[in-house]
Amino acid sequence: MTLLELDGITVQYGALTAVDDLSLSVERGELLCLLGPSGCGKSTTLRTIAGFERPDAGRVRLGDEGAPTDVTGTQPNDRDTAMVFQDWALFPNKSVRENVAFGLKMDGVSDTDRQARADEMLSLVEMTDHADDDPTQLSGGQKQRVALARSLAVDPTLLLLDEPLSNLDRRLREDMQLELKSIHERLETTMVYVTHDQDEAFTLADRIAVVNDGSVEQVGPPASVYTDPETLFVESFLGTTNLVDCTVRRAQTPTETADAQVADGGRVALETPLGEPLFAPATETAVSEDDHVTASLRPEQLSVTAGSETVDSAERDTAGGDGLTTTGTVESRLHRGSQVRYEVAVGEETLVTHRRIADQLDVTEGETVVVDCPAPSISFFDAEGQRLR
Amino acid sequence: MSTRTGRLRQAVASRTGTGLLLPLLLFDLLVFVVPFGYLLRISLSERSTGAYVEGTWSVEGYTYLLEPSNTISETFLFTLGFGVVVTVVSVTIATLYAHAMWRADGPLRIVLTAGALVSMFTAIVVKLFAALLVYSPDGVLNGLLVSLGLVSEPLRLVNNGVGAVIGQLYIVVPYSILAVYAVLSTVDESLLEAARDLGASSPRAFLEVAVPHAVPGMLVAGVISFTWSIGSYAAPLLLGSGSERTNGVLVSDLLLREFDWPAAAALAVVVTATVLGGLVVVRLVLSRREVTASG
Repeated sequence: MTLLELDGITVQYGALTAVDDLSLSVERGELLCLLGPSGCGKSTTLRTIAGFERPDAGRVRLGDEGAPTDVTGTQPNDRDTAMVFQDWALFPNKSVRENVAFGLKMDGVSDTDRQARADEMLSLVEMTDHADDDPTQLSGGQKQRVALARSLAVDPTLLLLDEPLSNLDRRLREDMQLELKSIHERLETTMVYVTHDQDEAFTLADRIAVVNDGSVEQVGPPASVYTDPETLFVESFLGTTNLVDCTVRRAQTPTETADAQVADGGRVALETPLGEPLFAPATETAVSEDDHVTASLRPEQLSVTAGSETVDSAERDTAGGDGLTTTGTVESRLHRGSQVRYEVAVGEETLVTHRRIADQLDVTEGETVVVDCPAPSISFFDAEGQRLR
Repeated sequence: MSTRTGRLRQAVASRTGTGLLLPLLLFDLLVFVVPFGYLLRISLSERSTGAYVEGTWSVEGYTYLLEPSNTISETFLFTLGFGVVVTVVSVTIATLYAHAMWRADGPLRIVLTAGALVSMFTAIVVKLFAALLVYSPDGVLNGLLVSLGLVSEPLRLVNNGVGAVIGQLYIVVPYSILAVYAVLSTVDESLLEAARDLGASSPRAFLEVAVPHAVPGMLVAGVISFTWSIGSYAAPLLLGSGSERTNGVLVSDLLLREFDWPAAAALAVVVTATVLGGLVVVRLVLSRREVTASG
């Protein structure tokens, strides 16, 4: 059931368009991550949901029971949303308990009831011992917990979190991610979570909305967004990848003659700087000769084996692919904590791959290797950044 | 508080500290301690018809202040009341105005800031005569009110207590605004948003979050308003009537008209002591806040 609908919202600051015709819906009980680089408009979107920004165009609909109703003009204090701020925004002149009880006080809940509720929330975030403390004396992680308890205390229909963990160090951040996930599972509160950290998004989210330049590029479960990116931006933002600039040449599939036409074969041949052509699907997307196409080869999908013998091309065809099979030279080998990173010079390009330290490759710098990438693991994007299908 | 005196002691102990403090100490000595010493000495002299008797010791000046035959103690109490009224009104206006300055942006903020500052560039007497033009029975304000039919006859806003208070407000409000604004401008915007987000209306969020934060500024504004009102001279003289005599007016009368220097000096000493006492109380309140705030 839909809890929140953003219908084509646009937010402008003078000449700057922070959010551009963005539409999104959030289902009851889910944790949706708005993921994007800084300045992409994800925080502004969140602030529009909370009511701090009035969109220049579009509607915000929020529903507790039944169909969502239009809340576009509703003040933040009359919206049933609660926000956890990036800097937590705890009231410095109030104790931890008073902070948590603040929303209930504004609702006119009796003193004893709100003390009880505040204590309940503090025990949920394991901050009972600090109930009478001054919030300014707490550590970052503790402030984070209090801010979460304060927002949860009002039992909001929708909890909004604006990069709440970005001010914490890495270990604490990872602990808090798991804790947040367990709180979400326990309370089943619907959450919209803004982050620029893809690991955080993949850890927490039921669905991820990748935001770029004020609009949503792709929405879906983390796994499908990662494995089936719709745009070049999504592909490159969600992890390191090897991007190779290619140019469309006439269709040239192994079973066809060299001058067969581009469109009907459903595949186009690409000239690459790798020394080997690549073949991109083009059944839905029209491309013409000399168009620029970007190929993305994920590092974890590259197989690198010692030796210089390429697999026989006939054998490759029966294996069902026209992926990449070529030779290259190992340029460097770098230990990075639990991973080893390899740079392999292939043609005019340098491809990067990595292995966990236990699975590290039996290759040395300067060695000639066979680089192989299966066709389904390579994705292609046209000049506008749209996936070729 | 202890850390502050500790720091001071440290500064004095180090030679650089003493060196840096020296000009300030000299200045204070010359313009405050020495003249005040003279004042104290005169207040403890015998009274005479010709100013005071040099080289004599007496508390006549002080006992005269309490004599029921004159109205000095009434004037003193009136001045205290006057100070309290001006302080309360001044801090209220300053808080609201500073809030408006803080919420405004762009040209409006500049206009509001200028509004508070420009009146400081004017001499007190000019300011008060301008006020007289606005508030007198046939002045601008009454003219407007009568022509709009809001009042049937002009309000009496000058030559009485109201006038004295209005005049004094013209003097102290700009300083109060700056004192409150200086603190208010440091409130974290996201705190107000957090309050709004949790269901507080705009005014409620201001009361719950910004006002507690602004208390030190409001106290400073209060101290400024109170100390200046208790020593006020020009405003009650120009905009009050004969019955709105304040300590300042009285000291000047005793000094220049009755030539009773010991009594005038004694009254000045008592007023100064009252102000200093008030400051100590405020300082204690502030330091207690700091102690509770830091847990």
